[in-house]
Amino acid sequence: MSGAVGREPVFPTRQSLGLMKSKLKGAEIGHSLLKRKSEALTKRFREITRRIDEAKQKMGRVMQIAAFSLAEVSYAVGGDIGYQIQESAKQARFRVRAKQENVSGVFLPQFESYTEEGVNDFGLTGLGKGGQQIQRCRETYARAVETLVELASLQTAFLILDEVIKVVNRRVNAIEHVIIPRTENTIKYINSELDELDREEFYRLKKVSGKKQRDVAQADAEILAARQKAAEKEAENDAPATAAPSTEETEAPDVLGEQEDTDVIF
Amino acid sequence: MEGLFFNVNAGYVEGIVRGYRNSLLTGQNYSNLTQCETIDDVKLQLGPAYGDFLAALPPNPSTSALAGKMTDKLVAEFRYLTAQSTGSTAKFLEYLTYGYMIDNIALLITGTLHERDTRELLERCHPLGWFETLPVLCVATNIEELYNSVLIETPLAAYFKSSLSHQDLDELNIEIVRNTLFKNYLEDFYNFINTHPDFSGPTQDVMSEILQFEADRRSINITLNSFGTELSKPERRKLYPEFGKLYPEGSLMLSRAEDVEGVALAVSANADYKSFFDAVGLNQGGGLGGMGGGPADGKSLEDLFYQKEMEMSKLVFTRQFTPAVVYAWMKLKEQEIRNVTWISECIAQNQKERIGNFISVF
Amino acid sequence: MASAATYKDRQFLAVIGDEDSVTGLLLAGVGHVTDGPDSQRNFLVVDGKTETSEIERTFQNFTQERKDIAIILINQHIAERIRHTVDTFTDPFPAILEIPSKDHPYDPEKDSVLKRVRRLFGE
Repeated sequence: MSGAVGREPVFPTRQSLGLMKSKLKGAEIGHSLLKRKSEALTKRFREITRRIDEAKQKMGRVMQIAAFSLAEVSYAVGGDIGYQIQESAKQARFRVRAKQENVSGVFLPQFESYTEEGVNDFGLTGLGKGGQQIQRCRETYARAVETLVELASLQTAFLILDEVIKVVNRRVNAIEHVIIPRTENTIKYINSELDELDREEFYRLKKVSGKKQRDVAQADAEILAARQKAAEKEAENDAPATAAPSTEETEAPDVLGEQEDTDVIF
Repeated sequence: MEGLFFNVNAGYVEGIVRGYRNSLLTGQNYSNLTQCETIDDVKLQLGPAYGDFLAALPPNPSTSALAGKMTDKLVAEFRYLTAQSTGSTAKFLEYLTYGYMIDNIALLITGTLHERDTRELLERCHPLGWFETLPVLCVATNIEELYNSVLIETPLAAYFKSSLSHQDLDELNIEIVRNTLFKNYLEDFYNFINTHPDFSGPTQDVMSEILQFEADRRSINITLNSFGTELSKPERRKLYPEFGKLYPEGSLMLSRAEDVEGVALAVSANADYKSFFDAVGLNQGGGLGGMGGGPADGKSLEDLFYQKEMEMSKLVFTRQFTPAVVYAWMKLKEQEIRNVTWISECIAQNQKERIGNFISVF
Repeated sequence: MASAATYKDRQFLAVIGDEDSVTGLLLAGVGHVTDGPDSQRNFLVVDGKTETSEIERTFQNFTQERKDIAIILINQHIAERIRHTVDTFTDPFPAILEIPSKDHPYDPEKDSVLKRVRRLFGE
């Protein structure tokens, strides 16, 4: 697991540990939010899917009725009006406008049909005969097209939602399976590194303090020894007792003296 | 007297038409047709009447293909009649085709106006309205050329010349052009029937009646269909044929009518039309406005007109020594094609509940 | 996600269908022919003679080039002829709607969108 996911390239410091911890927290909150969003969208999606299914069935019926009303027209007119209709079409009377509906932050388009008033390309079609049937047929078809527009809205919503849900789910999965484990891993890594550092530090301190103790002990021993020597010398003869400090004194200036010499030379 | 020499020239044609009339579908045939489950069954039922013409259809043909083949038979029979007729009868038959020619030319005008390739339109033309020089009209690329070719090449020149200029073709709605032409055609036909010496007698009687009815029907329809459109009353009035039972008082009232009640009032002088309006009630107004599903009782004004036309056509066969039987037969045949189309449409689209909405007179 | 600009000016419906379907839909008033010398129609009548490549071209024109079309209505049996193109077009705009025609009743099995629905729910 840890090998597959890896970790973030960070320095194992306390600061980055803090960053990672807040990142993990953020990821968890984001995950639950996205999950909820995805659920809401999926709910909506299922609803739309159901409605599409219904609407498609309805469309079948509606279109059949409409086709039948066209049959009535050809019965009444007694001929083919197709070509004439195609040629007299100029301005769309039946148009749609799109508006948006906000579902959990996703803008779904909603087609809304409206009729452009004052546009009537076929007003005189069937003037001699069949005009009433044509009129009725137009109304039937207009209603059919309204159903189609409704269906088109649903379908577009379906496609967009499908896309969005995929994206959201991908994010949810990414957070759940990549970002969170990775952040956790990083935290684990930082923790272990920090612990390691702690241990090293502790050990070092221990070593240092051990050395110090040793040094102190040695120094003490030396002082003790020196004192013992001095005492011994004092005990042996009085002269060396005064000579001993003088040698010590001369030793220190001796070093200084050398430095002074070099200084003098330069 | 009129029957004395009729058979010399037109006896054969009349005989043939009477034979054709007998092959029209009867009520029995129709009730068989309505029992059909598929278009193939319909085809089978039509077998005796249409024979070879339906043989080329694929299994389960579309209704339009079926109607096309039926029309082919009508056309073939009509062409045979034309080939057999001479003199005034031939002229009479020619007049019958003018109505279809008007439709065809209106089609070509539409195509030319929109700068389409009009050759493609030729196959959409009604075969009965076909005349030899029709393809010549396709050469025209603009409306003025077309107008000139129409004047030169077609028998319809007279109808154009008197009331339409080539600018009109450009500016007026094609439906107005079509109806103007039709009006001129009806008037000319009416005039022809009433002035030609060969037709005094039965032809004049029956054809006058039929044409008057046709003229009235157009006037009424135009009035009804013009409500709510940009067609002004004076323009509308110009489209009324100037004869018929409603002319002149009824036409005048029609031209002033503003709603269905006005139309009903205008035609109330005529018992037949009044009864039509009573039968459908004034709910036709609703029909124009917002009634979607068709009249509840299944009969619209238009259906009643067709019904009346069919009855008149049927009665024509009680007369002898007249080419009017050809007209009647054609109308009956056309109605038959419409009926069969309707029935097969109902079958194809599974809308059996309205399958009985056809008009059968035999 | 669709930004406002992509669909605000989409206000027309386009039709690719057989003659009857187109006639009916035009009667409803969806037909629109643009002005100018290169006037474009927003509908195509497909009959037995129409080449598949032409349908495809029109489809591409409606989907890619024209920016004023919100919904494309296409007869299902015609969509079937250019199924691959229809299937690969997944943009939300314009919406592609497969409609039944008179002679070809609606078959949900073939619908691009419904196929996706089915696939999604693992049916």
